Amino acid sequence: MIELQALHKRFQTGRGRQAREVTAVDGLSFTARDGAITGLLGPNGAGKTTSLRMLVGLVTPDAGEIRVDGLSMAQDPQAVRARLGVLSDARGLYPRLSARENIVYHGRLHGVPDDLAQARCEHLANLLEMQPLLDRRTEGFSQGERMKTALARALVHDPANIVLDEPTNGLDVVATRALREALRTLRDETGKCIVFSTHIMQEVERLCDRVVVVAQGRHVAEGTVAELCALAGEDDFEDAFVRLAFGAAETC
Amino acid sequence: MLTFWRAAWAVFTKELKDALRDRRTLMVVFVTSVAMGPLVLVMMSALVDKLEKRAEARELVVVGIEAAPSLRNYLERQTYVVKAAPPDWEAQLKDSKLGDPVLVLPADFESGLAHGEAPRVDLVYSSANSRAQSGVGRVSRLIAGFSQEQAGLRLIARGVAPASLGAVQVDEHDVADSASRAAQLTSMLPYFVLMAVVYGALNAALDTTAGERERGSLEPLLATPASRHALVAGKWGAVFSIGLLIAVLSCLSFLPAQQMLRSESLAALFRFGWAEAVWFIGLLAPVAAALSALMMAIAIRCKTFKEAQANNTVVILAVSLMPMFGLFNQEGEAPWHLWLPPLAQSTLMNRVLKGTPIAWADAAPGVLICLLITAASIAFIGRQLARRAAQ
Repeated sequence: MIELQALHKRFQTGRGRQAREVTAVDGLSFTARDGAITGLLGPNGAGKTTSLRMLVGLVTPDAGEIRVDGLSMAQDPQAVRARLGVLSDARGLYPRLSARENIVYHGRLHGVPDDLAQARCEHLANLLEMQPLLDRRTEGFSQGERMKTALARALVHDPANIVLDEPTNGLDVVATRALREALRTLRDETGKCIVFSTHIMQEVERLCDRVVVVAQGRHVAEGTVAELCALAGEDDFEDAFVRLAFGAAETC
Repeated sequence: MLTFWRAAWAVFTKELKDALRDRRTLMVVFVTSVAMGPLVLVMMSALVDKLEKRAEARELVVVGIEAAPSLRNYLERQTYVVKAAPPDWEAQLKDSKLGDPVLVLPADFESGLAHGEAPRVDLVYSSANSRAQSGVGRVSRLIAGFSQEQAGLRLIARGVAPASLGAVQVDEHDVADSASRAAQLTSMLPYFVLMAVVYGALNAALDTTAGERERGSLEPLLATPASRHALVAGKWGAVFSIGLLIAVLSCLSFLPAQQMLRSESLAALFRFGWAEAVWFIGLLAPVAAALSALMMAIAIRCKTFKEAQANNTVVILAVSLMPMFGLFNQEGEAPWHLWLPPLAQSTLMNRVLKGTPIAWADAAPGVLICLLITAASIAFIGRQLARRAAQ
């Protein structure tokens, strides 16, 4: 379970006279339950990536609290990181290492014994249908192959909570479907708590149990797709989202 | 539970494997730094060998020797072979095709000598022709010897002791022993091994820091529970090991190179045995540690490999200039030299080559400064790592 409470983050841009403060996240709160896929939906620049970076501990929030399975990020970041599997928007691989070596390396950094990491690697390769890729060097991998390897790397320590930042960016239909299928399996068979951010309606409609709509760093609305449509008084989810996200921005 | 050392070890082994798989870069490093030193040494020995051969050949190129039988007689008594100059000798001297200075005798040499008129001879060389120039001193001394002999004979004929012409006698004493004489030639050795360390560590230093940022693999790395310090320790350990490996290889490469020296006198003078190699490696290890950490610290601030390379040029330039310092500095060693790494180590390595024993107190300052640079750089990288990942 992932809980974010009243997160605030401001960044300084520019220097000297041109210095300007930008509010990236402005009191964002939401809870992601176990055994459910929670979508963080918002337009570009809504603060999704910053929120997820705070959740992972790469950025320290100015105010607010982050708890993962009851553990506080501020007090015990290492224990929190150990319970998180993260696929960030930076998903660089080591080109001179094989996919398997890339995955096992992160297993070691999570303290997973080598034989167990190898077994997990095989298991994840089956789940993500990437068996033939395992022993190839990642140099020259396609976007889809990279995403699969990066996802396997993020899941090697079998984390209870999975965080994905725009995972379908740059993927074709087949790869997107494969990813969706894998996430459903993870939710249904192992009861993981999955949070992912996106700006693509289709993703959310097809996959999410709950949706958190974010705009201008704020929590705008929350619920299932049907609930959000009802809330906005629209039949189409895209129309509902535009009304919720941009309507909220206009009234502010 | 993930301990510091387990995480650092995981990073260390991965970075080492990654760097060793970069075959093309390793090959370039190997050729430029490991093979270069011995190659230059062998080429230099071939040059010295040629010069020695020329000195041994005892040949003198003369124009108009027919006009000077007494000089020919003197030269032959000195076991010199007199060779007539080729017709276009002046052009050949200018083009460096002729490797000897040319002695030009006037047609009235013999008669002038007989009348006590001190005939003028011309010694022609080109200062742009280093081969010919190196023979000038030898020919001058030879002519001076002839002149002295003639003068002595004239004095004796007049009943004067030739010794009265020599009011002062000079005896030359060279206090340099053979090892320190050789060190003049081999003083560039420290330069080669230092550069080998820099180029050996450079690629790994950039790849583990700026390269990691450029690839976008730093952020996932920081999302693991491994502590920042463990990551930095592992990365630095790997870069240091590669720098040290190249240092060891380049030091050891001089051992077989020694067998290939063509000049016998240089081979006799240049003593680089196992003991010297071990000293070199011992002196280089702290430098490798400091340089690896420093180059990583500079690179972590850069977003791309290229940017980091440009920024690290400063380090490369500083290191490559340090041993050259000896060339510009004619006043010998100053105490502060031992406090400035690269220079300190290059000074001490030159001492090793001269066969001078090194006191611990002399080696300590350089090691201390290197350790300080290493510690400061590692602390800096640790702090930067988290900040830079999110940018």
